[in-house]
Amino acid sequence: MMERLFVAGLSHHTAPLAVREQLALDEDKLREIVSDLVGRGTCAEIMILSTCNRVEVYGVADVPGEARSAAFRQMGAQRGIGLPTLEPLLYTHGGVEAVQHAFRVASSLDSMVLGEPQILGQVKDAFALAQACRTVGPVLHSLMSQAFAVAKRVRTDTEVGRHAVSVSFAAVELARKIFGGLDGRSVLLVGAGEMGELAARHLVEEGTLPVYVANRTWARAEALARDLAGTAVPFEELLPVLVQVDIVITSTAAPEPIIRAAEVERVLHARRGRPLFLIDIAVPRNVEPAVNALDGVFVYDVDDLRSVVEANLRERQRQAQRAEALVEREVTKFAARLRDLEVVPTIVSLREKLEEIRRAEVARALARLPGADPATREALEALSQGLVNKVLHGPTVKLRDSSRAGHHRRWIEFISELFGLHPRGGAGREP
Amino acid sequence: MNAVVFDVALTAYILAAVAALSSLIWRRDDLGRAARVLTLAGWICHTAAVGLRGMELGRPPVLTLAEVVSVVIWVAVLVDLVVERRYGITAFGAFLLPVVLALGLGLPTGLRDLALEPQASSAWILVHVALVLVGLAALVLNFGSALMYVLQERQLKAKRPGVFYYRMPSLQTLDRLTLVTLTVAFPFLTVGLGLGVVRAGRAWGRDLVLDPLALFSIVMWLVYAATLSGRVVGRWGGRRAAYFAIVGFCVLLATLGAGVIFQGRHGS
Repeated sequence: MMERLFVAGLSHHTAPLAVREQLALDEDKLREIVSDLVGRGTCAEIMILSTCNRVEVYGVADVPGEARSAAFRQMGAQRGIGLPTLEPLLYTHGGVEAVQHAFRVASSLDSMVLGEPQILGQVKDAFALAQACRTVGPVLHSLMSQAFAVAKRVRTDTEVGRHAVSVSFAAVELARKIFGGLDGRSVLLVGAGEMGELAARHLVEEGTLPVYVANRTWARAEALARDLAGTAVPFEELLPVLVQVDIVITSTAAPEPIIRAAEVERVLHARRGRPLFLIDIAVPRNVEPAVNALDGVFVYDVDDLRSVVEANLRERQRQAQRAEALVEREVTKFAARLRDLEVVPTIVSLREKLEEIRRAEVARALARLPGADPATREALEALSQGLVNKVLHGPTVKLRDSSRAGHHRRWIEFISELFGLHPRGGAGREP
Repeated sequence: MNAVVFDVALTAYILAAVAALSSLIWRRDDLGRAARVLTLAGWICHTAAVGLRGMELGRPPVLTLAEVVSVVIWVAVLVDLVVERRYGITAFGAFLLPVVLALGLGLPTGLRDLALEPQASSAWILVHVALVLVGLAALVLNFGSALMYVLQERQLKAKRPGVFYYRMPSLQTLDRLTLVTLTVAFPFLTVGLGLGVVRAGRAWGRDLVLDPLALFSIVMWLVYAATLSGRVVGRWGGRRAAYFAIVGFCVLLATLGAGVIFQGRHGS
């Protein structure tokens, strides 16, 4: 079972965007391809994960190499890319490594932006699509449900996806570090830069209200205020607004600072100790750097926000190490479970075989003892059952142990031959 | 017996402090959970120790300086457990437990047998001690949250996110906690110390000004009074308030130290 499992594909690690975007196929095409591959018997099970950063085939096949070529030949053919072009970009993992790859991808440990949350949804969609096409069997089913569970654990047990990795979200996160909850905090947006507007939008989504907008052109201020469900304020009357608001975003094209330390200091008294957070997205800066030195005032310019983002990425990497260890443990557990599944049919048919013999022998013995009383019959049953159990014990333990150690195939064959078994659905192939 | 149980409690606090600090530094939630369990275990042992001492002596166990400090710790840890649970400020223990330990480990060295005029164990003294005790416990928490505020504020100003940025609650939360603990502590401290001064003035006469514990207590009260009025009347920002809270706690430690070293009328 393990040997037949494989994953093959290309991703941002191996293939340029030009190739990845070519291979991004729509759902109808993917449906066609997976159904075709299973219909022809190239694969027993298959699903295709296709996002802008990776195109991967997860499958179960007797000859994984053949299935891989067939899948990518068909995908490439849709866009006129020959298999020889794709071949050098492809990686293939089989068995335990395929399990590990699936877990890492679903947990976003293989993503371009470490810990980004979309990938899990994309894997789930791919799985649902394959399920709808009936190309998912027991192996992919248990692999993927386990991958989803692992991804969830990674998300809750580590912080690999927790800290903001974009400038505008970093600003929101900082605001939360200063104010706690953002409900009911007020925002002043000065200037109409795109990034400023984006940051303001994020803040409004987090519950900051009311919003004030100031701009040198009154019409622009009014338009933006309408857009953000806020109030336009005259550019010349910033100071009175500074007394009220909690968060200020500046993004004007002014060549000189428009918010100066001396002014903010005067405002501070009227603010009665409430903290003030200034996000200065403008270059050149709109807020005098000295403002940051004032008690309870925090100024972050674009560079500061970027360095926070970098620190957050480093933090995600730290957390990723713990996540990798977690994935590693889960892979080992899963592989053991899969191997256990492989020996189960052999154990079952061994038990059936012995039970069959036992019943026949008991019946024969009883035929020779027509006058046997119930006590004798019971004793015979117990004796034979005891014998069967004792005989079964050794091979069963041996099979389970060998599956844990990874060399169970030899033992399955050996025991099957010894007892003349024909396990159903098992891996013990007949000679 | 109570000494043994108390040592068990202290050991649990030590382990809890180590776990809490490690959880903060290495950002490990599992260590944080371990710290909370250990703190709870320590507190239960501590409760038993205080109760046992009371039963062995047949009187409320708050009549020696050591006993008072022990109960101050007990209350502080209790409030820490409540704060962590109610407000989800999981990093609080990492700041509070070391303070608790510093106080607790100071106990064996001289503090243990220092009696607060046990011959005068009247209802007056009990009320005086109980009130001061609640005040002190709140001030331990006040110090913990002020320290966290200062560290978090520095990281936010320096714009280099680090240990504190990733693990600590927001400035606003810490600021509120600092203010609340001070507001709770102050009335208890005022009435408690006031009772003590009135009573001691009557009993000791001019000896009152020669008692170091009494003198330091008054200085401490003045610092906290200044902090509270600064916040309420002057509307101080969080940073200045936090610095004052830290200064106030240093005076508090000096007060306890003075009580041990000089042993005025309090310790006779």
